[in-house]
Amino acid sequence: MNTFLIARFPKPDFTSGYQYPEIIHGLPYETFWSWMDVAVLVIMLSIAAWAVHKRRSRGVLFTESIISVLYFGFFRSGCVCSVGSIQNVVLALNDSSYNLPLAVLLLFLIPLVFALFFGRVFCAGVCPMGALQEIVNVRNFRLSRAVTNALGFIPWIYLAFAIMYAATRSQFIICRFDPFIGIFRMGGDIGMIVFGVILLLLSVFIGRPFCQFLCPYGALLGLVSRVSVRKVEVTSKECINCTLCHNACPVDAIRPPHANRPEETRMTGVKRILLYFVMLPLLTIGGALLLQSRSEVLTGANKDVRLMRMLNEYDAAPDEGMTPEVEAFYEMGRSIDELTERVDATMLSFRHWSLIAGGMIGLALGCRLIRLSLKRTRKTYEIEPAACVACGKCFNYCPQNKSKIKYEPQNL
Amino acid sequence: MDSNKQDKGLNSPMQRREFLRKCGTILAGGSLATLGGVLGSRAKAGSGDTMWQIDPELCIRCGRCQTECVLPVSAVKCFHANQVCGYCDLCGGYYRANVKELNTAAENMLCPTGAITRKFIEEPYFEYTINEDLCNGCGKCVNGCSSFGNGSLFLQIQQELCLNCNECSISKVCVSNAIQRVPVSSAYKLKDKA
Repeated sequence: MNTFLIARFPKPDFTSGYQYPEIIHGLPYETFWSWMDVAVLVIMLSIAAWAVHKRRSRGVLFTESIISVLYFGFFRSGCVCSVGSIQNVVLALNDSSYNLPLAVLLLFLIPLVFALFFGRVFCAGVCPMGALQEIVNVRNFRLSRAVTNALGFIPWIYLAFAIMYAATRSQFIICRFDPFIGIFRMGGDIGMIVFGVILLLLSVFIGRPFCQFLCPYGALLGLVSRVSVRKVEVTSKECINCTLCHNACPVDAIRPPHANRPEETRMTGVKRILLYFVMLPLLTIGGALLLQSRSEVLTGANKDVRLMRMLNEYDAAPDEGMTPEVEAFYEMGRSIDELTERVDATMLSFRHWSLIAGGMIGLALGCRLIRLSLKRTRKTYEIEPAACVACGKCFNYCPQNKSKIKYEPQNL
Repeated sequence: MDSNKQDKGLNSPMQRREFLRKCGTILAGGSLATLGGVLGSRAKAGSGDTMWQIDPELCIRCGRCQTECVLPVSAVKCFHANQVCGYCDLCGGYYRANVKELNTAAENMLCPTGAITRKFIEEPYFEYTINEDLCNGCGKCVNGCSSFGNGSLFLQIQQELCLNCNECSISKVCVSNAIQRVPVSSAYKLKDKA
């Protein structure tokens, strides 16, 4: 049995007037700092929104990036961040006994609200992970459209899994597989630090690989910024189709005019879109059922389920010895019935949430197919808001932003 | 004339797109507001920030706190509840088991980092103090004290050091689920102050 306050020895009867020492334990400073984080977040987002929409200055955004890496990254050691807060919010939605701190809720909501008004200004220079990649980025080798589109789907899968694991109280996978936290803390899981360094080396040549191909919060921000009130624009003046911004964009978010003009007949395109619309519910249901059929495997991420499996293994082969978990289970005198009940509840919630997560992946895939087959006609270079991280690289390249004289495009 | 026609042709889908986009904006704004409202009202009812604490009642001193913390030296430290301590000379947390002589020779000491010091108070009582700067949270002394003594030594997360990770990496492998989030207002889970 566990030993908690066993009075083997009586309380000493001091005769020399001995006083018990007053031990003061270090106080948690989190309450103050978490509000400080929210305040800094709002200020930096406001400045970023101003720099992107009014000033069109990459300099301001780059300075913010450095501040963000220093403050949110190295000084505050990166926890808790907006990206990870997705999981806290999901957990709070699913389990009302979980006490969601208000500051964490604000960390989650404020960048989304800013995205609704100004696009992804959070990514521009406020998120320390994006900022770190931005600072080391030297030049951009453009990946092919197909590769970008395919890899760009990973965040949705990641998001669906993160929601499932958070809702079932199993793991916070976004935090566990955070590649940059080890760099900010200068220590931690060696595998993730290596991954983070590889990503940073990649981002020297490819614009923001984490933001483009991994970040689940970026997927949400992209979704919201699709319908944002103000769109990020390269210039307030008229576009002269010089292609300079397109070449400068690190995330390939600037679409050239007529680049995807349909080469096929209109009917083929319409038929394809109709097919995708029919496929959308099928993909959703298919994804949901597929993931649910694997829910047994997915439950392995849960601690209780793992303990149950260890107990079963121990029962099957007691000679192999106990793992510390099994030892603890018996030492604490927990009953197998109580554990079975918990495991059953977990299994059930995994069945629900794998259905939701699978459906989400299927739905996202269907929507992506529809979006990719929508052919639009553009006359000028336009920023695709969902992909644009508002880094501001294009601002300095646009000749229209530099010239004071208004350029009149000649109508030939 | 030609350009006029093109403009007309583009005009109607652009308006439709604009309309759809506005609907999307309202939808997104509405759902964000709803989410904020639902969770915000709940968050207000709760007591705000939380921190990670070890429940000393559940801890079985498996030793993972020493190795699993993201910090190079764990934020888990040994705490001492003087009010519970027996002030013994032969302390199970201070000396190794089966020690021959009660002196401070290195082979007699249980703590691998020499973080426990003791001071003679009066016959036969000794006061024990933990030097948190040296403690690495291995829990050897806690095990000794809990096995042979009153259990006044216990492991706890030192809040000044704890980074308050969104998910404590020790809690993921804690064998007895002893590491839990507690409201900041309830501060430390100690043994001498319930």
